[in-house]
Amino acid sequence: MTLTADERWDLIEKISNKVVTFSKFKHTLKDALGELTVKPLTGIPIAIAVLYGFWSVFSSFAGTLCTDGFFVKLFDGHFLPWIQSVFPGKGGWFYYIFVGDPAADNCFEAFGVLTSGLFVAIGVVLPAIFIFYLMMALLEDVGYMPRLAVLIDTIFHKIGLHGYAIVPSILALGCNVPAVTATRILETKKQRFIMMTLLAIFIPCGAQLGIMQEVIPESIGIVLLYLIFGYFLFGFILNKITPGKSPEILIDVPPYQKPLWNNISRKLRMRLGGFFKIAVPFVLFGCAIVNILYLSGTIDWLARVLTPLLTGWFGVPGETVGPLIAAFLRKDLAVAQLSAIEMSKYQMITSVVLVSIYFPCVATFVMLLKEGWKNLLGSLAVLVTVIFLYGGLINVIWKLLGVQ
Amino acid sequence: MEKKLSEMNYEEEGRVESIEQNLKNKVAGMGIRVGKNLKMITKHPLKGPIVIEVDGAHTSLALSVADRIVVEVKK
Amino acid sequence: MKKILLMGNPNVGKSVFFNRLTGANVIESNYPGTTVDYTKGYMKGNSEDFEIIDVPGTFSLEPKDKAEEVAVKMLEEKKDALVICVIDASKIERGLYLALEIIERGYPVVLALNMWDVAEDKNIQIDIEKLKSILNIPVVPTIAISGKGFKEVVLSIKKAASVGVKEIMEKVGEIK
Repeated sequence: MTLTADERWDLIEKISNKVVTFSKFKHTLKDALGELTVKPLTGIPIAIAVLYGFWSVFSSFAGTLCTDGFFVKLFDGHFLPWIQSVFPGKGGWFYYIFVGDPAADNCFEAFGVLTSGLFVAIGVVLPAIFIFYLMMALLEDVGYMPRLAVLIDTIFHKIGLHGYAIVPSILALGCNVPAVTATRILETKKQRFIMMTLLAIFIPCGAQLGIMQEVIPESIGIVLLYLIFGYFLFGFILNKITPGKSPEILIDVPPYQKPLWNNISRKLRMRLGGFFKIAVPFVLFGCAIVNILYLSGTIDWLARVLTPLLTGWFGVPGETVGPLIAAFLRKDLAVAQLSAIEMSKYQMITSVVLVSIYFPCVATFVMLLKEGWKNLLGSLAVLVTVIFLYGGLINVIWKLLGVQ
Repeated sequence: MEKKLSEMNYEEEGRVESIEQNLKNKVAGMGIRVGKNLKMITKHPLKGPIVIEVDGAHTSLALSVADRIVVEVKK
Repeated sequence: MKKILLMGNPNVGKSVFFNRLTGANVIESNYPGTTVDYTKGYMKGNSEDFEIIDVPGTFSLEPKDKAEEVAVKMLEEKKDALVICVIDASKIERGLYLALEIIERGYPVVLALNMWDVAEDKNIQIDIEKLKSILNIPVVPTIAISGKGFKEVVLSIKKAASVGVKEIMEKVGEIK
């Protein structure tokens, strides 16, 4: 026999009356903090401070401390000269694929599987992903995320989502793969379609952020502004044209908890494990594929064919074809490659934005496919439209500003 | 005085009078039911969500969800 | 191997609970046809071993989102499973809502009143013995973070049996 909701509550109240006694208790600092961080007047400044702190720790730990302070020295100073001298067959194609340019003096420009590939994966991306997931797990474990969701709900509402969309959005800044998984907290097909499409197009992953921090530190702000603006602009449009319902927020806001190291380390291990299994092989493999495409002349040919489009419509050099192909495998790799191409600061911004909004990397692609091919086709249609419209728009903005 | 949950003011307390039928089961698991006392913790501007306290637990609802719940406000 | 489903409201320390019950041998899987992940592990009982599944947290068996939908499906698929229902002792009423729903569907349930320390801090007193006799299922106060009550949870697994909700309604009328 099953009860209706009302009958069940009746029964619970009867049980509770006999079994539970509630007495007065003092509100603790934790309760007060819980309320302060969910009320708009105090909560919004705190949220901005938290996110800013998140970013500062991320960039100083990953960029300054690990990559510049340790891995660049290790790879460029010791590993690169060593492998350049001991790897057999200098000048041959095999050497080109695995070690890259024998004259290169840093791992960004060598572009071999074992030089740039390893360096990008271990030296740049790993620290970025590590610190990102550590802080994310901390925020989750403490119980901050639901509050952030409530605070941001009003904005997300305008693009057909609700506050909890902040979780996949922030996770995507780490890696799109778990972010696609996290879209499950949104209820309807429409919401999940909008979310997946937006995150696949507009949210750069931790790997990409790490490398942007490394190669274009002075322009990263502008790139991010373009992406955030695009996220909301196209979110707004998608909400208008996608059929279906957007249910309203209805969530539990739990009290703060002391973070548990056990919990955090388990989450961290699981997410880092996923990174090693999926991302690292793709970086190395991607590096090899791009090198083969270069060696076989495919990229030169594509660059020639696509130059009118790239320079005419987007205002970027034809050589960006190589990185755009690499972007399909790994975006971090693509940004690293872009940094080796001669172009103006503004062209660089456009190409980095293009690489970001261009096809999601293979791993994300597979995740999206798992969600259903109809969804994927829809997302791809949006994506192609966005690349042309938004890429062209950025070029027009530069032209209007007179910088290009 | 009877009003919609969405119209309650900050810090006001009240008792749930009625919940729209098709919302009932959705909120039941979170402890929101007819006869229960609740308190408004905060309301967000620009038709943003509200946060209420029920049985010592905080729950956030969209304003349009709160529209479907009627509350007898305590003086 | 007999299966145990670990169910409960979100944010009640269920994953810490799960880690305590299982050893290191934990498998992360994907629920078929969805992107909802769940974890599975093994637990040594007193006389037999169990496979234990960490079901996504849910407030009720009326799903509000994909994760809750999966929770309900996992329950419905494992008709012969036993359920350990983990609830927040300081929010016992909403926890009982889910527990009752599971009991009504005929599953044998062990009820763990987790975060017992939080309830004590809030001056909430719960008469465990009375609750046990009303529900006629094992009820154990636990603190997942410190490990309090876990031995008893494991011991009471064999005492769990399915109960009719009618009997509970009658019993609550009889007891003072």
